[in-house]
Amino acid sequence: MSPAIETAGLRKAFGEHVAIEGLDLTVERGDVFGLLGPNGAGKTTTIRMLTTLLAPDSGTARVCGFDVTAQPREVRRRIGYVMQRVAYRGLLTGRECVEIEAALYHLPRREIPLLAEAALDAVGMLPHADRRWTTYSGGMQKRLDLACGLLHSPEVLVLDEPSLGLDVQSRHNVWDFVSDRRLGGATILLATNYLDEADRLCNKIAIIDNGRVVVQGSPSELKKAVGADVVEVATREPERMRRVIETEPWVKKIVIGDLGDLHIFVEDATVALPAVMRMGLEHGIELEKVTYSQPSLDDVFLLHTGRELREVGVAS
Amino acid sequence: MTVEQLDVRKSAPGDGPDSVAGARRRYAQEVLALARRWWIELLRERLNLVFSLAQPAIWLVFFGAGVERAIDTEVIGTDDYIGFMLAGIVTFTIVGNGVSGAMPLLWDKETGYLDRLMSMPIARSSVIVSRFVFQVAQQSAQILLVVLVALALGVRIATGPLGLLVILLTAALLTMSVTAAFSALAYAVPQHGTFFAVAGFVSLPLLFMSNAFVPLDAMPVWMEVVARINPLTYAIEAMRTLVLDGWESRVAASLAVLGAAGAICLALGTWQFRKQTGERVRG
Repeated sequence: MSPAIETAGLRKAFGEHVAIEGLDLTVERGDVFGLLGPNGAGKTTTIRMLTTLLAPDSGTARVCGFDVTAQPREVRRRIGYVMQRVAYRGLLTGRECVEIEAALYHLPRREIPLLAEAALDAVGMLPHADRRWTTYSGGMQKRLDLACGLLHSPEVLVLDEPSLGLDVQSRHNVWDFVSDRRLGGATILLATNYLDEADRLCNKIAIIDNGRVVVQGSPSELKKAVGADVVEVATREPERMRRVIETEPWVKKIVIGDLGDLHIFVEDATVALPAVMRMGLEHGIELEKVTYSQPSLDDVFLLHTGRELREVGVAS
Repeated sequence: MTVEQLDVRKSAPGDGPDSVAGARRRYAQEVLALARRWWIELLRERLNLVFSLAQPAIWLVFFGAGVERAIDTEVIGTDDYIGFMLAGIVTFTIVGNGVSGAMPLLWDKETGYLDRLMSMPIARSSVIVSRFVFQVAQQSAQILLVVLVALALGVRIATGPLGLLVILLTAALLTMSVTAAFSALAYAVPQHGTFFAVAGFVSLPLLFMSNAFVPLDAMPVWMEVVARINPLTYAIEAMRTLVLDGWESRVAASLAVLGAAGAICLALGTWQFRKQTGERVRG
């Protein structure tokens, strides 16, 4: 079976501005694939090419084995696209919106009412199905877009910044929807500039910056490549604690911080944490506080682009 | 019930994506679904519905009753001023509908819903065609209403009920030109402000430079030349002949010109649509 998405040397320029240059991506079937990058990195341009809305200048892009320029209809049949901006639906009710789009996907006429209910139910919008779209909150409008996106059981669901501008509750609804995999094994391509969103939902991530893929892999692989976990120990006897543990095989490096805390860099904090506690106890060193932190995708982004991605804190 | 239990991608036998009948059925499904959207919106806007349906009839009454006295029946060639005006009012309505009918296309373009539509496996033309189908249905109702009012005011259609059907057909042919032209304009402009500026600028001259109010014979020569290349003139000529005179060969000639104009405008509209969505992939 062909990969869900495969691009090679994809390029798109708008006048002088090169939005995408030499983009190579492979998304396997069943992946929840995160396209992560700051605003203006080329995420939406990439998505517009993959959804057949924009013709690439050069390079190829295939969705489910079909070329986006040569066989756009075949591609359109197989994708569900949830735009970044909520689609304006005027005076229609939620149910009408979904039914009309079901017909536009050429679903069998007699099955449409049932399919529409199923799609609305999948996003928790069934109780609000007969209200007008204009009375929906932003989160509900987004969920309706999601319902429309999955209506025809797409092989690839493309979500462009699905939680942008949503309140915390609605953002969690969207996340639950993606992570629940109520989509029957569909591949998901998710563009986001929220690190925690990518980390939480995706099994593969490509970080793109200035129209290129900077690095790709699973979130844990990417983070592992940055370095180890960090265990922090607060104690009155940091030097003694250091001598006790520094020869242990799981210790990679120890630094004593400004406040006298030990920063122990380890391969795997889940192994190191109990060992630190046990050895402190064995040697009679009183440990006031033991914490650990994992490298975040922010560290990954920092390492590969030299810039911090995080501009605004994300409530979660 | 969950979505995956209903696998809709497997279509029924004999329903394959490549069969001609299947393609035709899918096209009809698209056009009807889009037209349903326009239809629901219109029904929910009660005021819009009432005013747009009643407007031509009201114009006929006010205009007819007021201006009738000031008209030289020698110039218009008939005593039946309201019968004379009927075709002009219908055409006026078609142009007005053409302008307001392009508005949903403008909103779809500006709110981004057009992108959502273009990401679906639908034919590019079905958006414009659905608009055309919807407009023809809406204005057929308007025309029937205005004709009823005209009948009540004493107008008798020379060609009878069959003539009324041909009037509706003439209106539909003109609608093809008008809808396509204003749709092309809607897709061509950078923003809706430009659309309304241009549409407002062209609509009235389009009417005055036709035989809507004055017969061609009574016009100065330069004006007659302009009126002769205006498709509105042919629609009015056909409808007016059907109302006042009867079955004459110029009805067929006018319909032929309207058909040709419709084809040209449709080609223009499609070309603009392609050009303006040129960054989008065709399909």
